[in-house]
Amino acid sequence: MKLAILGAGPGGYVAAIKAAQLGAQVTIIEEGEVGGTCLNWGCIPTKSFVASIELLAKARRLEEFGIELKGEIVPSISKIIERKNKIVITQIKGIKGLFKSWGITLKKGRGFLVSPKEIVVTSKNGSQEKVEADTIIIATGSRPAQIPLFPFDGKKILSSDDALNLDIPKSLLIIGAGAIGCEFACIYKELGSEVSIVEMLPRAIATEDLEISELFERELKKKNIKLYTNVKVEKIDVRNDGIHAFLSDRREILAEKILVSIGRAFNSDNIGLEVIGINKGNHGEIIVNEKLETTIPGVYAIGDVIGGFLLAHVASREGITAARNVMGGDEKIDYRSVPAAIFTSPEIASVGLREHQALEEGIKVKTGHFQFRALSKSHALGEITGFVKVVSDKASDRILGVHIIGPHASEIIHEGALAIKTGLKTRDIIETIHVHPTLSEVLMEAAGDVHGGAIHVPKR
Amino acid sequence: MNPDDLKYHKEHTWVKVSNRKTVIGITHYAQEALGDIVYIDLPEVDINIEVNSEIGEIESTKATSSIISPVSGRVIEVNEELSGAPEIVNEDPYGKGWIAIIEIDDITELDDLMDASEYEKYVEEEAK
Repeated sequence: MKLAILGAGPGGYVAAIKAAQLGAQVTIIEEGEVGGTCLNWGCIPTKSFVASIELLAKARRLEEFGIELKGEIVPSISKIIERKNKIVITQIKGIKGLFKSWGITLKKGRGFLVSPKEIVVTSKNGSQEKVEADTIIIATGSRPAQIPLFPFDGKKILSSDDALNLDIPKSLLIIGAGAIGCEFACIYKELGSEVSIVEMLPRAIATEDLEISELFERELKKKNIKLYTNVKVEKIDVRNDGIHAFLSDRREILAEKILVSIGRAFNSDNIGLEVIGINKGNHGEIIVNEKLETTIPGVYAIGDVIGGFLLAHVASREGITAARNVMGGDEKIDYRSVPAAIFTSPEIASVGLREHQALEEGIKVKTGHFQFRALSKSHALGEITGFVKVVSDKASDRILGVHIIGPHASEIIHEGALAIKTGLKTRDIIETIHVHPTLSEVLMEAAGDVHGGAIHVPKR
Repeated sequence: MNPDDLKYHKEHTWVKVSNRKTVIGITHYAQEALGDIVYIDLPEVDINIEVNSEIGEIESTKATSSIISPVSGRVIEVNEELSGAPEIVNEDPYGKGWIAIIEIDDITELDDLMDASEYEKYVEEEAK
């Protein structure tokens, strides 16, 4: 089996390795750097920033932890970026090393499908080469979406890509209070920028459970990050004193820079889809069936470019499934148990149904809550903000959703993902002994609270 | 312990009336039950609030709790000092730890509230 993969992000590179493991002869084509958005512009760079920022925030509390500081704490953005770059380069080398060990051929250049079995690769210097394959997987990903009225200029109007290599602005206006906008809001606020966020929807991180948004909005307030909801930026005016943003409610915000984080656009143009007749949806996403095959047999598509979750780990999972299907498998993905995390401070993570979704679907639910501040480990760590919410089916006691805001939410969520994937009940979590003292105890207690049986909650 | 010149709400808030302007806060019992207060989410100035509704939230090291308004009216001032030093509420709940000043709509609403001795009995009952 000769397999060609277009795009070496977390979808494409994982598909390449899995297919090679299963015996395929794999060629992978990448215009930029391997690792895609995730490694070069997304997950990894931002999390390396977040690590610096968390340390900075903790360092500012040294006294509280009984440590005396003789001197000053001064973050250096250039060194934070330098560290980030080093991490990214190491990971790029890691992926290339894996390609080598599995005998995967990496072709640098832009790929264009000229037939369902041929991709023409144009390198930076203009030279062209044809890659022939029995099967093709398209994994071209997405890019930051822009606002037509004021497109990115990389200097004053920034995309999330630009925001990774920035001097600390005095003031930053973020358009869009989704995951990306809120992560950068926390990062730049800690670095000293004055941050405001404008959101069209009624609440920040509107994709999450309502109660999670409520608490997060209060945390923004505590940090002195201004959030304007139910409002749009209608016009901007770049003047000597900065950018004036005019909102739909007649308010005006003055900022040195604007970060636009309103969503992602699919990379489905100019790769030959029209030439071979692959169907796209209304937003440009490639349409695939449950097996991740496009409307052209033998051509698969995975990751951001097929829409849906737009998460690196979903792309990777799709990469594995597509690789297996290419090699004769007949698999589909269970999307009900996809966990997601937002690396704000505090962290947010969720899996499964939000309470309002369950209600919309007509499911009768019970919920349980538990506050991190009721755990001794939270106090020991000095991280007491946040809670866990468990949504369970009233009739069967099965866990339908887990929602976490608080320290290490992104690590704790997997117990919830496993519970939903395997159809566990809250009783199963309650009966599972959790290590004391850990933050993971929150989920056990929140599951207990579904039945009014959490231990560290006063009688109601 | 609970001042006689105040009126008390069953959600452990108090009101001090002078003309139509009332000062509100949380009671000694409430602050003691909460423990060390670390953050107070204050209502916004100029908004209208309803009696028995949540107008803010208090976070302590062991719990979070809603602040339930004992009166209806318009918020004309909030105690900004609490944003930087919420522990004032622990130290002086009936004095420096006041939460907001409300211009009340209906003075007769105050008749539904408890006086100090009624509130003390109420708290004793609740503690049982």
